[in-house]
Amino acid sequence: MTARSPEHGSPGGELLQAHDLHLSFGATPALRGASVSVRQAEILAVMGPSGSGKSTLLHCLAGILTPAAGEVFFDGARLDTLPEAPRSALRRQYFGFVFQFGQLVPELTAEENIALPLLLNGLRRAAALTQAREWFARLDLEGLERRRSGELSGGEAQRVAVGRALVTRPRVLFADEPTGALDSLTSESVMDLLTTAARGAGTTIVLVTHEARVAAYADREVLVRDGAVTDRVIV
Amino acid sequence: MIRLGLRLSIAGGRESLSRLILIVVAVAIGVGLLLATLAGLNAVTKQNARYAWLETGYRGSDASAGAQGRATTAGVEPVWWRLRADYFQGRQIGRVDVAATGPTSPTPPGIPALPAPGQFYASPKLVALLETNPAGELRDRYPGTLIGTLGAAALPSPDSLLIVIGHRPADLSHDPRARLERRISTTAPSRCNGDCAPGVGTNANGLVLILSVATAALLFPVLIFVGAATRLSASRREQRFAAMRLVGATSAQVATIATVESTLAAVIGVLIGFMLFLAMRPLIALIPFTGERFFTHDVVPSPVSLVVVAVGVPIASAVAARLALRRVAISPLGVARRVTPAPPTARRVVPLLAGIAELGYFAYIDNIGANTHTNTTLEAAVFLGGVLLVMSGLVIAGPWLTLLASRLVANRANRPAALLAARRLEDNPQAGFRAVSGVVLAIFVGTCAVGIITTINAPAVRSHEVGAYATGTLVDVLAGPDRLRTGTALPASVTTELDATPGVTGLAVIRDQPQPRPEIRPSGAPPGGHVFHAFQQVVSCAQLQHVPALGRCRAGATTAAIDPDYGGGFELRNHRTMAETTWPPSRLTSSRLDALPIDTVVVGTNSSSAAVEHARTVLDAAYPTAFAAETISEIHADQSRLLRAYQQLANVVILTSLPIAGVSLTVSIVGGLVERKRPFSLLRLAGTPLATLRRVIGLEAAAPLFITAAASIALAFLSAQLFLRAQLGESLRRPAPGYFLVIAAGLGAAMLVIASALPLLRRATGPDAARND
Repeated sequence: MTARSPEHGSPGGELLQAHDLHLSFGATPALRGASVSVRQAEILAVMGPSGSGKSTLLHCLAGILTPAAGEVFFDGARLDTLPEAPRSALRRQYFGFVFQFGQLVPELTAEENIALPLLLNGLRRAAALTQAREWFARLDLEGLERRRSGELSGGEAQRVAVGRALVTRPRVLFADEPTGALDSLTSESVMDLLTTAARGAGTTIVLVTHEARVAAYADREVLVRDGAVTDRVIV
Repeated sequence: MIRLGLRLSIAGGRESLSRLILIVVAVAIGVGLLLATLAGLNAVTKQNARYAWLETGYRGSDASAGAQGRATTAGVEPVWWRLRADYFQGRQIGRVDVAATGPTSPTPPGIPALPAPGQFYASPKLVALLETNPAGELRDRYPGTLIGTLGAAALPSPDSLLIVIGHRPADLSHDPRARLERRISTTAPSRCNGDCAPGVGTNANGLVLILSVATAALLFPVLIFVGAATRLSASRREQRFAAMRLVGATSAQVATIATVESTLAAVIGVLIGFMLFLAMRPLIALIPFTGERFFTHDVVPSPVSLVVVAVGVPIASAVAARLALRRVAISPLGVARRVTPAPPTARRVVPLLAGIAELGYFAYIDNIGANTHTNTTLEAAVFLGGVLLVMSGLVIAGPWLTLLASRLVANRANRPAALLAARRLEDNPQAGFRAVSGVVLAIFVGTCAVGIITTINAPAVRSHEVGAYATGTLVDVLAGPDRLRTGTALPASVTTELDATPGVTGLAVIRDQPQPRPEIRPSGAPPGGHVFHAFQQVVSCAQLQHVPALGRCRAGATTAAIDPDYGGGFELRNHRTMAETTWPPSRLTSSRLDALPIDTVVVGTNSSSAAVEHARTVLDAAYPTAFAAETISEIHADQSRLLRAYQQLANVVILTSLPIAGVSLTVSIVGGLVERKRPFSLLRLAGTPLATLRRVIGLEAAAPLFITAAASIALAFLSAQLFLRAQLGESLRRPAPGYFLVIAAGLGAAMLVIASALPLLRRATGPDAARND
């Protein structure tokens, strides 16, 4: 099943909206009335202490988890009520993801990892690999095309993950602690590449982090505490 | 430390418990299959041992019984004993005629006492046949009253057709085939030496072959599976051990915990495996390893096997856990492999090529089979060595071939599922191939056997083409001591009753030529050239025209010299079947013919079961010979009984080993998935459809299975061709469609097993997996 691109924009030019989200894992509440909105091409940092619910909020916005109560809109269309298959298709076609670690398929080469979402979207192998290779220069990864994840450093692997997330030119990129496993220098390099590439393509970014240095790359910052969101506009 | 290990395994959280359950389930399935295989092998031996009492009267069994057996017969009054083979609708009936000479005459197993004259015991299946068929077709062959059924102690299989008929000593003692015996044989056909009952059970060589093939083809895959099951989730455990090292645990303490965890899972798995086996026993009993199903109570492993499995699997699991830890360095900061497994190289294919070269050399260059000076032991060693080299070569070359195939697919894959599956296989071809290496042996052995048997049996195929003649023509050969009593005249009752039997088309009496036989000098042959002698048998042309299976006379002839060959009844003779042969005329007149001794009585029928069985009953009453009259189909089936048993074994081996390989593949893939679920679950979070991931797992399992099966089949046919070329100068014939159906059914069953594990993927790659990993 192919996801239908939302055709009408939401009021106020907001691309993603969440209203009064509630979600618990067993007896443990993760979200308690969380609301947030993200504008087109905006970089939003979601901050908060460990266990505050920021990753859960990201998963709800991306349609990975379905909230027990509340609503999620993408480009004005209701997302949380969609069945699993169209939600998966939506994620595949309009969203990109970068996680903290372990997201590359270890058996694939770096170029195959980047080409994978294109192959999943039905592109032929040669065309997918050609597009994937274009990202190696932009991500400063030239010469590493045939390496596997075990043969890459942490920073290199994370840049490959960024390339994989952006290769389909997604409308929204969800990044969950993308530099959490990297040293500060490598973190900066990865964030530079991530935000530059995203801004160049007009991609919206939802960035979950607990590091102020990483959050500084964002246009706006919100704080999640005890499952609820507090706006903190920094620009 | 042991207590801590136990607590970590059982109460170490959801993941520990899931891991424990996964290993327990896998070990239980493996142990269940292992016990089933061992029990099946033991059942073959036990079934064969149940034929022992039918060896009574044959000197081969006496020789094996030795002095102890003879000593116990002191004071025992002998019993008159005669074993005969009877047939009904293509199935063999074992008939034992007995006559006690006194109250201490020995009694065979399965009955309380010898039947008195006019009484008989029959096996339950034979009783059912007696009750459901017209008396003229079966019941009339057995004089007297049924007084009970033969117990299981006398029956090799629940389907066995056996009968023990009581007579007066005075009646049976006149029979030239009856023997006076003081003991009932307890020697299984496999231990009988020399003079043994024909067509009873399986001899020593046959049993060794059956057990070796079944052991190699079934036990090996099952052991591989058990090994894989005990190693499940090893790397996840190793990561946890690194955390323990961080808080001060020593390497020895970590090793102890690992051993406790593995052993605990193995012990629980073994217990459940035993229960699984007990539940499966009735189903295993239905598997006809050599053609007949087993009694459920025979399906039990030997006591030694039971102990070895019960104790050996947990010990092996503990040792495997220790060895696995030696291959990794667990430091407080994490786990590192000491040795990165090197990818397999092309050198692995050398033994395989050497095996093919050896077989090819002896088939096409040395022509060992045609060399009369070559002794058969050397021939056997040469061929067995060559076949074993090809088999082991296939196992050794397997990982390299898997690597080659997966690399080929990965570099051309346009679909993500094919790319992922091929790259995962390429990453560890040894692991991918290990799960199917047992199939290599099973399919190779089975296919090789089927190829050779099909070619050797090829004339029989022609006999089926000839059709109704083979199943409708009854042959009663009055050979050996029986002929002395036959005389020259057919009993009047035979012709009268056969004439009155619907469906009987004619009767031909084949007689022996007087010696010396007339000489035939080919026309134009020089004086002193080769002289042929006329065929030994003669037949009336008037009779021959009503039995078309035997051929025809030349026009105008009244008698013909005939050389029938019932064994290969329709075997090609100068590219013609016997039915298509025109026999040369004999110099004998019809009246002189009637004065010659009868050699064989042949009855033609319309092939209906009623006509065949009624005619057989008539002939049986007139000529109670060692073997009852048989149709040509039955004679051929008898002669190829062992070959058919091997073919049956080959089918069973293929059909059972493929699903076992499917289970093995599934367990290893699920294990691999559980260990490396994060990349898969993150792919799913990013929108990869579950169907794509299912295809990855399906392809990852199916590709080695199908590639291995194809390579095994091709090499087995090649080996069979080289064997047949060298030994018989024949070329391999295409197996019957049944073989391909068996392969397809086995692969289908394996795919079903693999498919049954796919639903696990949804759970293993759900959002929780990525969050909690």
